[in-house]
Amino acid sequence: MKRLVVLFALILWGNACLGQQNQFFGGLFPEAAITKRLKNQRQITFKVEHQDIFFDREDREEGKVFRHYRTDLMAFYGLKLNHSKSIAFGVFHRIQDGPNANRIIQQFAAVSRIRSTRLAHRFRTDQTFTKDEDVEVRLRYRIAAEFPLSGTTLEPQENYFVASNEPILSLQSGEFEIENRLVLTLGRLLTATQKLELSVDYRTDKYIQEGFRTRLWLKVGYFYTF
Amino acid sequence: MKNLRYLVFALALSFLFVGFGLSAKAQEKMEREKKVKKSEVPDPAKKWLKDAFETLKSPKWYLETNESGYSYEAKFKWNNQYYSVEFDSLGVIEDVEIELDFEELSEEVRQNLDLYYIEGYKTYKIRRLQIQYSGDPDDLEDLFDENEMEELEVRYEIEFIGTDNDGLSQFWEGLFDEKGVFISRRKIITPPNENLIF
Repeated sequence: MKRLVVLFALILWGNACLGQQNQFFGGLFPEAAITKRLKNQRQITFKVEHQDIFFDREDREEGKVFRHYRTDLMAFYGLKLNHSKSIAFGVFHRIQDGPNANRIIQQFAAVSRIRSTRLAHRFRTDQTFTKDEDVEVRLRYRIAAEFPLSGTTLEPQENYFVASNEPILSLQSGEFEIENRLVLTLGRLLTATQKLELSVDYRTDKYIQEGFRTRLWLKVGYFYTF
Repeated sequence: MKNLRYLVFALALSFLFVGFGLSAKAQEKMEREKKVKKSEVPDPAKKWLKDAFETLKSPKWYLETNESGYSYEAKFKWNNQYYSVEFDSLGVIEDVEIELDFEELSEEVRQNLDLYYIEGYKTYKIRRLQIQYSGDPDDLEDLFDENEMEELEVRYEIEFIGTDNDGLSQFWEGLFDEKGVFISRRKIITPPNENLIF
């Protein structure tokens, strides 16, 4: 785990050194999700994500420090195909400066266990609708590895570590773009149904179009499943 | 508009933390494993392991606690197989488990296991299979340092995903005797994985 943290620090440091002219901002990113398991292997999940900017390279020069960026409200209806695989369909509403956005999401996920590590693959497609803009279509793949920090299985009141990466391909108005999200998480299984997480979320995008952008978020996440 | 955003977020968080308070009372009791230093392990356990696996260098030691007490467990890889050796709280050997592939089992054991799964489940998938040896400490030691099998009890511990006829899929740990005949099973409770997929 130490190696991963060092690697992550190196990536951030490299970005800070090389990307002085690029867009860079970040801040606090609380998120919370609640999942209700239904009969017949079905479940519903509600999730809220909120992003406040505490640092913006451009704003700093103008003296601005803190501002709201986005609040996302999501709802998913999921179906387990078997013990490890599931599909889900979601709707999403984004509150932001300018016109708010709406999105529909389709997802397939597979979670397997390799000894003490849980490995999750998530494939998503989504379509985002924003007033006065063309529809944005995205294809996403996230791989995440979670392992307990004590023992070989995760039990309540124990900590765990998660590393995940998600490349995202998007197409809007005939223009193609790439985004990447790298997240390192320290979590705690509070009870058999609740998880609390502290993460560093490092996002880069506009690889193809002009204005390469970096966003760095400190995330606090709470997940409750019942 | 800005205030509305914060109100929505605050309401959503409040709703979730009400759930937090209610469910905290319903915590389940589960086995707990904690990594421990070699120096914290009782001497008889370290001595038995040294005698049985003379060239073994650095096993990982765990303290396992459950409702009935605690025990020590050494985990290591030996001759390309994964071993788990369990000792009681005083360091007396209890059992040795070795991971196997299904194909390594005898024909009789495989047939009995197949029969159990075919009769009991619509679909099944074996995730982990261990042969378990238990008995007198000296007899257990002889199995590994002299390859002698005397008066040892053999069982099979199998982690599997079984889907019943109603389509309900569960993660189980099954215990089978030396011929592969079913003895008991218990549910394996896995922590929620919504953080990994949402």
